[in-house]
Amino acid sequence: MTCPRCDSDKTHVLTESPVGKVWTVYICDQCFFSWRNTESAEITDPAKYNPKWKLTAEKIANLQVIPPVPALKK
Amino acid sequence: MPYKDLREFLTRLEAEGQLVRIKEEVMPEPHIGAAGRAASNLKNGPAVLFEKVAGYKYQVVTNVHGSWANHALMMDMPKDTPVKDQFHELNRRWDAFPVGVKRLPTGPCKEVKVTENINLFDVLPLYRINKYDGGFFISKASVVSRDPEFPDDFSKQNVGTYRIQVKGKDLIGIQALPFHDIAIQLRKAEEKGEPLPVAIALGNDPMITFMASTPVMYGQSEYEFAGALRNGEPVELVKAETSNLEVPAGAEVILEGVILPGVRTCEGPFGEFPGSYSGARLQCEIKIHTITHRHNPIFENLYLGMPWTEIDYLMALNTSVPLYKQLKASFPEVKAINAMYTHGIGCIISTKVRFGGFGKAVAMRLLSTPHGMPYAKVIIVVDEFVDPFNLEQVMWALTTRVKPDKDVSLIENCPGMPLDPSSFPAGMHTKMIIDATTPVAPEPNPRETALLENPEGTAEWEEKLRQLVAGFGK
Repeated sequence: MTCPRCDSDKTHVLTESPVGKVWTVYICDQCFFSWRNTESAEITDPAKYNPKWKLTAEKIANLQVIPPVPALKK
Repeated sequence: MPYKDLREFLTRLEAEGQLVRIKEEVMPEPHIGAAGRAASNLKNGPAVLFEKVAGYKYQVVTNVHGSWANHALMMDMPKDTPVKDQFHELNRRWDAFPVGVKRLPTGPCKEVKVTENINLFDVLPLYRINKYDGGFFISKASVVSRDPEFPDDFSKQNVGTYRIQVKGKDLIGIQALPFHDIAIQLRKAEEKGEPLPVAIALGNDPMITFMASTPVMYGQSEYEFAGALRNGEPVELVKAETSNLEVPAGAEVILEGVILPGVRTCEGPFGEFPGSYSGARLQCEIKIHTITHRHNPIFENLYLGMPWTEIDYLMALNTSVPLYKQLKASFPEVKAINAMYTHGIGCIISTKVRFGGFGKAVAMRLLSTPHGMPYAKVIIVVDEFVDPFNLEQVMWALTTRVKPDKDVSLIENCPGMPLDPSSFPAGMHTKMIIDATTPVAPEPNPRETALLENPEGTAEWEEKLRQLVAGFGK
């Protein structure tokens, strides 16, 4: 399964529906995007995910850090 | 009587026609988010309880605080109470702070305990709130944490609402902006390389949720304020299972875990209260190791989108009242503050003007309050006879009292609210003060005018006309 948002192949099943086999939720190990297989193709299909919200490994590495990690006090 | 827990409040809302039940099964997306948006589009929109969500065990309720009627009922006032009256009643109850808490050995939130094979989806019917949210968010949690430097100081125990993204069966992300109280505590823990214990209370007495989103001073207890706003009735707390944190006894669900020191991973975007998405950021992670919950817990969550939505009702008067208190302490002339616009990014202050320039100076004081410093950006100051909750009156003041070349002031390079998309760089902003008060000496007022007064008998006629209108159709 490819992440619809960052196109990474490192994804896994986060959970199956607790009641019945109704849906499956997946999550991306790189960008933490999660999606349910019953959502629209605009959310679940990498080719149809809005390019405005796409991420890459490079973009992720350069995201703002909130809050900044303080230096360890000795 | 104040409400013991969320369930008592839902019962009251239903009795007052302010809660609707959706009995047919719904899909998590897009139905729950859409219904939350729709409920806040209605005048005096109801809370919406979903009894069956496909694939999940439990119920979801949204829009619990999402109308002035629900807000009034939260305060145990008639549901048609005007906003200004709700403001003044909150203001009155505020003075009862602190009301000590009641500590219980155990409570309903402990009916079920889970410590193994934790899966948040087993307990919470999670769903995507807005289309381009980066995942499933918990938008209405009360996050409890303590100051690592003062672990036994109850008043420094923080109860705050922060956005939470589910990132695993037992892993969540949390947004702790540097000016949030929890960020002070996190910093102290991270400087020692230690995890910060947290307990996250979901589905609470509505006044606890209300206080968790109220900007009070760091050393003031949200629980002791909630007791004051519950008309002096203490909140009931129990100890968390794994720490000295104290949580509401009647909560639907308690998630216990730790913020992992030094860890920041991709979080967001999330549709935020300014009505736009905040971008993805590298933010903190919480590992959940214990869950306790009531039998058949109800998951309470809120929709937030282009204002007004539930969050705007939740953060309206609880932003206005503390700012009012802080200004009033310095300037007794201040009559009221309406800080209901986007969590106080827009504020209207009503004040008597003691001398020339007074209105502008009062606005400066607002900008030096802890909340006003980053949030308040557009500040309008009006005379004491203008009701700041009546926007027609405020517009009157703007159109007839403002001389733009002298009454509009811009203050550059100030703190800003990072989620405000016009803040650049995020966290910096220019402040604007519009002094719409009538000039008072020594400021010249070369065209002094006499205000029009109501014709004699207006009040009697108003009542008579109201009764005639009310009689139509009967």
